[in-house]
Amino acid sequence: MADTDEAAIHMPSQDASAHIEVDLSDETQDFRMLSNISFLTDGTQASIPKRGEKDFEPNPTLYQADILSASRQAMHNALAYPRVHHPKNQIIGVYAPNGPAPPTLHTSNLESIAEGSLQPDAEVPTTTAATTTTTVGNVHPDACVYIANPKSNLFKTIGQADRWNRIWLLPEEALFMLERGSLNIHWPRSEVGYDEDEEADEDESNIEDSGIPMSLQAAYAAFASRGGLNSERFSVYTGLRRLGYTITRAPGWNDDGEDATGIEDSGLEDGRKQGAGLAGIYSRFMQWLCPPSTNTALGPVAGVGFHRSYDDIYSKLSIIPWYDPTAAPQAARSPAQAPYRVVFHVYKPSTPFKKSAPPPPDFRIAVVNARAHTSVPTLSQLGALLESTPLDPPTSEKMSRQLYMRLRHGYRNVILAVVDEGVVSYLRISEAAFGKEKLYKQKALANKTQYRPKPKPKPKGR
Amino acid sequence: MASDPLLPVPISYIAGSYFLFSIDAVTYLRREHHICGVLTGTLPQIPQQNVFLGLPLKLMPEEARLLVEHGVACIVDEVKAQREGMRALREADRRKYRRELESQGAHAMRLQTNRKEQQREAALKRVDAKKTAAAKKKAAAAIAVGEAEGEGNAAHQLLPPPTVPPSYPLFAHLHAEGYYLSPGLRFGCQYLAYPGDPLRFHSHFLVVAADWDEELDLMAVVAGGRLGTGVKKGFLIGGAAQPRGDESGLGLGDAGSVRTFSVEWAGM
Repeated sequence: MADTDEAAIHMPSQDASAHIEVDLSDETQDFRMLSNISFLTDGTQASIPKRGEKDFEPNPTLYQADILSASRQAMHNALAYPRVHHPKNQIIGVYAPNGPAPPTLHTSNLESIAEGSLQPDAEVPTTTAATTTTTVGNVHPDACVYIANPKSNLFKTIGQADRWNRIWLLPEEALFMLERGSLNIHWPRSEVGYDEDEEADEDESNIEDSGIPMSLQAAYAAFASRGGLNSERFSVYTGLRRLGYTITRAPGWNDDGEDATGIEDSGLEDGRKQGAGLAGIYSRFMQWLCPPSTNTALGPVAGVGFHRSYDDIYSKLSIIPWYDPTAAPQAARSPAQAPYRVVFHVYKPSTPFKKSAPPPPDFRIAVVNARAHTSVPTLSQLGALLESTPLDPPTSEKMSRQLYMRLRHGYRNVILAVVDEGVVSYLRISEAAFGKEKLYKQKALANKTQYRPKPKPKPKGR
Repeated sequence: MASDPLLPVPISYIAGSYFLFSIDAVTYLRREHHICGVLTGTLPQIPQQNVFLGLPLKLMPEEARLLVEHGVACIVDEVKAQREGMRALREADRRKYRRELESQGAHAMRLQTNRKEQQREAALKRVDAKKTAAAKKKAAAAIAVGEAEGEGNAAHQLLPPPTVPPSYPLFAHLHAEGYYLSPGLRFGCQYLAYPGDPLRFHSHFLVVAADWDEELDLMAVVAGGRLGTGVKKGFLIGGAAQPRGDESGLGLGDAGSVRTFSVEWAGM
């Protein structure tokens, strides 16, 4: 941090705001900075290198050419680093091209006798995996890699277990773990054209595993377009995973999965609807007491008569209707359409996460391909997207004090991840309710609580 | 040191995107053809960060098209190639592949243990933890495998050149002028134009393409100019000068007919 501050001092500061947030991943960084991290050694420290100095434009000096070739060499070395697994504690997954299926056992095996209850499942022939999805328990049907020896911290937030203590991974999870070198995926025998006569060789009790590691390239080919995954969604998934967030598929992942989105907010909304209802009764009572005269043809908007406080006048002047996000939607809107649907639920690293019972997510993300959708979403698209998220009013203690924070937080919010060829931008969209923030009441409150003689001239800048 | 890959370099077409998996191809195309792409993979040595990313390299359709037109690359249907390649794999190849990986792993383990011993001698007190490793060199070895059996049936897995957005002539023009181009969403434009390798230089221009007869909103020009000035870059707008009536031949990639204008916010 110290040096970004320094950099800000040394830079000609035309606009201070440009230096507030320096996101290193915004621009290509010099890979020489990475060489400070020693490879093929113990990774006790893995601090992120500092921002490198760059030149303004190329000149024909040998000096510059040398630096450039050193940078490229550093990049080459970094990218050529192999993924290594210790033979004793490597995690091996097996690719299941037909989706989740119970383990296939030799019918002559002793195990099938021991597990009498499992025998019907075990009898299922290896080839008809598609029909057996129901027997695997609650594993997602898009899962396509299983792991028999799941020993890693990552499985606290990744994967789903079946009845045989195997963990099943969704395509994006498998690809992410393979990429970061935490998983070794093997080809299944059905995919590698095994000759029937050579089954016998040193078999390790698993007749599905061919023992051939899948390359990263093959894994991309197999997983990147599987089960609704596409490269934009995967960019978002890995990007957030790398930063430590927990990220899971939302019900809106599939195009036909909108049934669950309705369920999601019903529970949260119940309590608040009642509150709004009480307020509604109260306001209706008030309206009955003093009917608003919005007819300006007969006189001033504020009405003729005695006005004892400014609040009355202001409230009578507010004749423009506004949208109350807390009110229940009158008519069911058309469901959110792709790509403006929530496809990911994201949890902060600090949020305690349980795979079996995921808490309400910290963020909801919709993924948009900037190349395919070049315009700003329409109001109906945004409205449908926001309506698919639960009510999230600004209720924290900090926000109850600060008007601007409340407006910014809004009553519903969603994050749009806009992906342009691998570059991701995140936009937070929230439904602000200006109509609910009565400025005249604010002022009255402030005047009552503390006496301010005069707003002091604030020093410019920070 | 980097060795030059065999030409044409195969570009993998997976799920609507264009990927490069070979580090040699990535280095070569960057050095010789000014094609940088965007690294999208996780670096296995430091997986929990987003500053330095690893293979695969994702190419824009424009970049893939340009390389195909220059004859240095071809597009391969990777999904099909992988499936058929693995199906055609014979037992002998399989054994060989495993042995190769294991020997690479053993080599890595030796390297690591050697280095460890040196470290131990140098600083006995330092606690070393760690996994020695057997290994598997995924990306690089995979290329070898892919090529080994891909050769026979590579011909019918070639795909036509990528379809590109109408901004392609401007892209090709700037590339021909020696600029390195990358997707510009982070700075709110179509492309970022770098005067040299982005590893060492900051970008100079925010590039937005327009059709020759396109009506431009003056607000967009002002906004672009201010945006560019705000991040110390020029706002560059351009397009092909003649209507692209003749799609045949070099019509699309004809970089000579492109004109460019740079806009700066004067702030008077």
